[in-house]
Amino acid sequence: MTVAAGIGYALVALGPSLSLFVSVISRKPFLILTVLSSTLLWLVSLIILSGLWRPFLPLKANVWWPYALLVVTSVCFQEALRFMFWKVYKRLEDVLDSFADRISRPRLFLTDKLLIALAGGLGHGVAHAVFFCLSLLTPAFGPATFYVEKCSKVPFFLVSAIIALAFVTIHTFSMVIAFEGYAKGNKVDQVIVPVIHLAAGMLTLVNFASEGCVVGVPLLYVVASLTLVHCGKMVWQRLLESRNQSSGSQ
Amino acid sequence: MESSILDSLGVEIIGVMAPVSICMFLVVLLTYSLSVTSDPQIRTAANLIYLENPSDSATVKLEGSIENAIVFVVLVAAVTFILVLLFYYNFTKFLKHYMRFSAFFVLGTMGGAIFLSIIQHFSIPVDSITCSILLFNFTILGTMSVFAGGIPIVLRQCYMVVMGIVVAAWFTKLPEWTTWFILVALALYDLVAVLAPGGPLKLLVELASSRDEELPAMVYEARPTISSGNQGGNRGSTLRVLVGGGGGGGGVSDSTSVELQAVRNHDTNQHGRGNSHNMDYNAIAVRDTDNVDGNGDGNRDGVERSPLVASPISSEHSTAEVGMRGNVETVTDEEMSPLVELMGWGDNNSEEPRDLEESLNRGIKLGLGDFIFYSVLVGRAAMYDLMTVYACYLAIISGLGCTLILLSVYNRALPALPISIMLGVVFYFLTRLLMEPFVVGMTTNLMMF
Repeated sequence: MTVAAGIGYALVALGPSLSLFVSVISRKPFLILTVLSSTLLWLVSLIILSGLWRPFLPLKANVWWPYALLVVTSVCFQEALRFMFWKVYKRLEDVLDSFADRISRPRLFLTDKLLIALAGGLGHGVAHAVFFCLSLLTPAFGPATFYVEKCSKVPFFLVSAIIALAFVTIHTFSMVIAFEGYAKGNKVDQVIVPVIHLAAGMLTLVNFASEGCVVGVPLLYVVASLTLVHCGKMVWQRLLESRNQSSGSQ
Repeated sequence: MESSILDSLGVEIIGVMAPVSICMFLVVLLTYSLSVTSDPQIRTAANLIYLENPSDSATVKLEGSIENAIVFVVLVAAVTFILVLLFYYNFTKFLKHYMRFSAFFVLGTMGGAIFLSIIQHFSIPVDSITCSILLFNFTILGTMSVFAGGIPIVLRQCYMVVMGIVVAAWFTKLPEWTTWFILVALALYDLVAVLAPGGPLKLLVELASSRDEELPAMVYEARPTISSGNQGGNRGSTLRVLVGGGGGGGGVSDSTSVELQAVRNHDTNQHGRGNSHNMDYNAIAVRDTDNVDGNGDGNRDGVERSPLVASPISSEHSTAEVGMRGNVETVTDEEMSPLVELMGWGDNNSEEPRDLEESLNRGIKLGLGDFIFYSVLVGRAAMYDLMTVYACYLAIISGLGCTLILLSVYNRALPALPISIMLGVVFYFLTRLLMEPFVVGMTTNLMMF
């Protein structure tokens, strides 16, 4: 029974990404490699951040502003890293394109680029879920569960799994938005991604209040669904545009 | 619509990473589920000198573990040199029988012990006669799959992974400090043995390639059979992104392909000898290669058809190579050279590693030792926490990726352990010391970002 609960928590956090991985990513080895490297990048960023904050830990449990500072620095750092990730990807894209030219095959399609962005985002999201939720699940497989004081109605593992799911969604699709924004030079898309990330991080601070998770988690899901909708609209537009272009050019 | 190059890139890398991941995953599961029942101390070649005791002081542990690691590496090196000597004087047949015996021994005794503890732990109702018959069958099949013809490549790959799991699960019973020092020592040894002039593994690989013989070692061959499921891609190889091109052709074992290749085809299987003549020629092969793998003697008569028909049998000793002319791409399915692994089973086990070699026009082989020691590292990490497991897994996989990229650059046998093990060890301690308090402090307050 407890094993079932543990697996259930894991699937709440990672189920959607798992199905995304199986249905889309695993078909193309290159995307798997992208997921892996982006996961690794996120892990490295987490290690660096924790190295920076290590001297100040543990933070006092009843003061909220150090946590806010921590979230802000982490988000800034990770957004900077996202930009670097984009730069690296840009070079990779050039290499791939010239490689395609050399063997006289078509260059990367628009869908390919979107898929690579999706894989990169999925890597970030999975890394988030794995390190913030899954790695703490070990006790959930045992014969007990755990509640935190500030969110006393729901088991800790379930809350963290639900929050992790929201973050997986945000990370996955904001990477697509960011890559498109960088590629098109669209300022709005470039700015909206850090804003979303920061907003989501700040919303978790609501959990700091007693029973704050009742408010904080739904708000987080609002942000996540906004990301999802924006990403969907943007991709749809891009696909229509490129179809019009290709039919126009023929 | 023409398929994009994205479909085919990286097939080879994934072909190696997938089994390694499976092996590590299963070892972690094993250590997780059996950690309660496993007996506290075992005596193997890896801790001959010093038996770690949790109450010992850090200095005693440190000295003892270093001594253990040195002794283990020396043993491994000695066994490797013996193997090289035997190989040099053409005791190939003896070596092969020895490998079979090791496989039998590993699967039968160590694997049997692990199955027993699984049966006990989960209270599986099996009577002893059924169990021993099953175990015997399992073992015999595994033994036959080593250096034998007519066995589907998938089966051999599975058994390689199983052996890796069994040995790794055994090694995770070593005490903590000793494990870390042995891993680091082996990584260093691997570096020396493969790269230094006169290193035993380097000698072995050179010897084998100069004689066109199969390496007498336990080696996992990555072949596209494993990556079945995406068809229609061409076989561009990521490794060669910067070098070569991609020909057309379907993914896996059945495909129609047009290839222009220099083919070297040794067919050995008929002669127990392990090698024989080979022919070099260029062929334009336009073929339908259904069922390449099932086709045992495909490349005996395969002058015309050879390139893709490296049947499991012959490619076992033979290395059908597909060269490149112009920029025509090589077929991923050719396997070839070695990520070498040798195993020397001392009293209990002392195997040795591996290295990773590959040449431009060859597929990838990974030594069994690499599987084992990657898994040992992850299994050891699993005894601490899940977080360290993920970190170590990512580190090892990325190390393997780096090694594969280096492989395509240097085009020679490379040790697969050093980068991965070093990254794994570094990430383990970083995670344990830095990241865990950070992450735990954040999440228990339900903060995330």
